[in-house]
Amino acid sequence: MKTETQRGWLFVLPVLALVAFNALVPLMTVVNYSVQETFGNNQFFWHGLGWFSDILRSERFHAALGRQLFFTATILAIEVPLGVAIALAMPRKGIWVPVCLVLMALPLLIPWNVVGAMWNIFTLPDIGLLGYTLNTTLGINYNMTQSPVAAWATIIVMDVWHWTSLVVLLAYAGLISIPEAYYQAAKIDGASNWSVFRYIQLPKMKRVLTIAVLLRFMDSFNIYTEPFVLTGGGPGNSTTLLSIDLVKVALGQFDLGPAAAMSLIYFAITLAVSWLFYTLMTKDES
Amino acid sequence: MKKLASLILLIPGVAYAQQAGWGNVGQAQEEAFSLAKWWTEPLFSGFWMAWTRATLAFFIVIFAMIAVMAILEIRRPGGDKRLGILGLETTRGDRLFIGLLGSAYVFIAWLGLITAPLWFPLAIAVAWIGFCFWKV
Repeated sequence: MKTETQRGWLFVLPVLALVAFNALVPLMTVVNYSVQETFGNNQFFWHGLGWFSDILRSERFHAALGRQLFFTATILAIEVPLGVAIALAMPRKGIWVPVCLVLMALPLLIPWNVVGAMWNIFTLPDIGLLGYTLNTTLGINYNMTQSPVAAWATIIVMDVWHWTSLVVLLAYAGLISIPEAYYQAAKIDGASNWSVFRYIQLPKMKRVLTIAVLLRFMDSFNIYTEPFVLTGGGPGNSTTLLSIDLVKVALGQFDLGPAAAMSLIYFAITLAVSWLFYTLMTKDES
Repeated sequence: MKKLASLILLIPGVAYAQQAGWGNVGQAQEEAFSLAKWWTEPLFSGFWMAWTRATLAFFIVIFAMIAVMAILEIRRPGGDKRLGILGLETTRGDRLFIGLLGSAYVFIAWLGLITAPLWFPLAIAVAWIGFCFWKV
């Protein structure tokens, strides 16, 4: 009989302690704040579930949530197919493989606030390369500090530029793990390119694509730094995503109670959608 | 003279009335014990996590559930897997998770669409968790 040791638990202990301090304790604090009111000075007064009712009925919350859902849906609809297409087009053998991989990995290495600052300068109408070209050379009126459409286009293009690579790398990892025999069998059967993609490549990429969609969903749903640095939520409130609004409530207005209630509703949405994605996409495997 | 004597006799009465009526003004009163207040007042005064007995009880229940799950897993390993009514293969941990997440949404929907008190959604949530362990 195989004997099991419990020593593994000991090795996991530091991570558990770390998670307890950086995730569990703050989360518990947020739950405590969400049912109380404070005017500072570390004094709290019971408010019950009033903040939840207020937030759930607040126009401002509905608008921010709507913008957040629109943003996430749009970038997922662009990044996942685009990432798969680029992965399919990448070479599988030879000198160009490392070149492509490094080029693809580059945007992922740049810190989020730097990405925001880069795109901010890049799109300035007077000195930015993109902004200047669009306005002066092509004569298109493009100014993301004035037009909500331009601001939205910019944050979406920026996110696609920054994060499509992640989908590419994951899809590529899925693709190169397919044994050559599958392709040879398809060739013998006279399968078209589409059939090869539909019945060999896509099923083999399913697991990594599940992870890609999950990661991109969670990251984009919780995105803060890039749009904050790029547009600051403007013009007006047009690009104030949920996280930007949350920080405004919590730190700008110091309304800890409403902000905590908002965080918990936000958390419930992220949790449910992630669970749903994961369950639906891994359903057939179990 | 008689009148004056009766007035003098009244003085202690007035003094007593003053004592009884005004003597307590500005002094702390003994407050009646209130269960709601006891349940929701700050627990560790000045501590940044802002605990109350109500929220502490909430977390004790959550951690107790996790502990029960751990004990059950040690007693009967394998997670008691089965194919549920939703077409998902679930372990007992999955069923608890689905039950709790569903309950959170019942409360959120109730607070957003109707309003407090929450006894009715509590009944729905308990029924939902029961259903999860029974069928899902």
